[in-house]
Amino acid sequence: MDSAIAQKTWELENNILAVEAPNPSSDFIFYYDEVAQAMSLKAKPWGNDPHFFKRVKISALALLKMVIHARSGGTIEVMGLMQGKTGGDAIIVMDAFALPVEGTETRVNAQADAYEYMVDYSQTNKQAGRLENVVGWYHSHPGYGCWLSGIDVSTQMLNQQFQEPFLAVVIDPTRTVSAGKVDIGAFRTYPEGYKPTDDPISEYQTIPLNKIEDFGVHCKQYYALNITYFKSSLDCHLLDLLWNKYWVNTLSSSPLLGNGDYVAGQLSDLGISFLCT
Amino acid sequence: MASSSSSGLTFKLHPLVIVNISDHYTRVKSQLNLPPSLTSTSSAATSNNNNNNSNGGENNQQKPPRVYGCVIGVQRGRTVEIFNSFELIYDPSTRSLDRSFLEKKQELYKKVFPHFYVLGWYSTGSDAQESDMHFHKALMDINESPLYVLLNPAINPAQKDLPVTIYESELHVIDGVPQLIFVRSSYTIETVEAERISVDHVAHLKPSGGSAATQLAAQLTGIHSAIKMLNSRIRVVHQYLVGMQKGDIPCESSLLRQVSSLLRRLPAIESEKFQDDLLMEYKDTLLITYLAMFTNCSSTMNELVDKFNTAYDRHSRRGGRTAFI
Repeated sequence: MDSAIAQKTWELENNILAVEAPNPSSDFIFYYDEVAQAMSLKAKPWGNDPHFFKRVKISALALLKMVIHARSGGTIEVMGLMQGKTGGDAIIVMDAFALPVEGTETRVNAQADAYEYMVDYSQTNKQAGRLENVVGWYHSHPGYGCWLSGIDVSTQMLNQQFQEPFLAVVIDPTRTVSAGKVDIGAFRTYPEGYKPTDDPISEYQTIPLNKIEDFGVHCKQYYALNITYFKSSLDCHLLDLLWNKYWVNTLSSSPLLGNGDYVAGQLSDLGISFLCT
Repeated sequence: MASSSSSGLTFKLHPLVIVNISDHYTRVKSQLNLPPSLTSTSSAATSNNNNNNSNGGENNQQKPPRVYGCVIGVQRGRTVEIFNSFELIYDPSTRSLDRSFLEKKQELYKKVFPHFYVLGWYSTGSDAQESDMHFHKALMDINESPLYVLLNPAINPAQKDLPVTIYESELHVIDGVPQLIFVRSSYTIETVEAERISVDHVAHLKPSGGSAATQLAAQLTGIHSAIKMLNSRIRVVHQYLVGMQKGDIPCESSLLRQVSSLLRRLPAIESEKFQDDLLMEYKDTLLITYLAMFTNCSSTMNELVDKFNTAYDRHSRRGGRTAFI
């Protein structure tokens, strides 16, 4: 069984942590325990430690919804909210929904427009059996990477003051489609004046020149959280079966054609940065 | 009850709907099976859960709950594309549908997705039942011919097909009485590029982030498995044809016609314009790779020159400080 040996070698070299196959008894992550959540909200263990939350677990459904919504916006930034709960040092995102506002880069408090929508939606959801609370917001940066801009940082700092626990997620749908893997980042800001004790080395990402200043000024004011995904046993089963149907789409996708503008933009950016040095 | 549909509509289903329904069902199911002690660790909770299941006192645990909801999407001509779905409140005992809730939800979704409208409803279960017709009729005042999407949540590892069926309603005359019955329709899975990538991502739980090498490996694995699938399907068709030639399998002319039409389509793209376009794209890709390699080389060269200058710069070492340019 050469393939089995090859797979084990690959897994070892790449530090693959075996995710145990979800079985019906591990679906308990979907259970919303109101009492425990209320208790943890009162205790507020994140109040003293700005670096309290270290991980994010995103459900398959939330990821799907966020990526589709981000992509549907094209080159316009879109935003939405995420619902979920906390679990130890992890924030668990169960679901996401889109907000009917557009363009967050020029307005700090775009969320104010959407409050009515948010309240209505949360109410109807609670009636229908989704009991989780809003636990964060997401928005898209089409084509320029996953990081928090100055406005995003100030919005998130405000959120973390008044709506704890809150998480900021950024998705880049253009890079997702052109790279073939989901480009997503989860962040939490440090409170004003806090200096992080250790400086984590963040993964290098190419950021277009017109945004690099905004990135550089604020990049120390927030930290990235580790993202993992989870799905239920039924999801697992259905997704496996789905593969039988959409392998055709995998072969017939052509990222070059779909992202001609983006690639051209990146190339011109490269040209300008060559001229500068 | 389920004969094949004759309305001539083609249905396209997005994976988001399937994941939505599955999530709704899992949520409702897990809220009913309460893990009793919540302060214990996860392993203890799951073992308690198992105990609960084996005791199985309540009806809810033995019979999985049915969930109901609405599907929305677009209908263009004869093609019906189902994009999204949301939950509905329905009481099967009194057979009452919460109308105000439905309207409220519709309004909310209209704000974010102005093009979608209600196409039908969904539920979970193993087969379409008579009682479902009441729900179906209730929805008829929103959409004259709603769809019924049924998901079978029983996990059967031997199953090869998606446990999702789409039913339409048709007026048939049975025993002299015109009645609405459910008829099955076929559907295809349709994905947007972004949807496909995220479904792929979650389906195989690829490691997020990581170096460029792992990402490349992950993407190549995806394409490799798709090609493997294509290969195995072609093999199946080939074996079938060989069997027919030998006489083991009875000749079926409709299938033979389909295969021959497929084969005739193969060398279709031989025109010169296609070759030109293909070569242009090919050259573009090669150019970009060349440019990337070039940039890499020049940056390494730059670093080397800097190091050289720092190591072998004799003139300024005695003076103390030099102006760094």
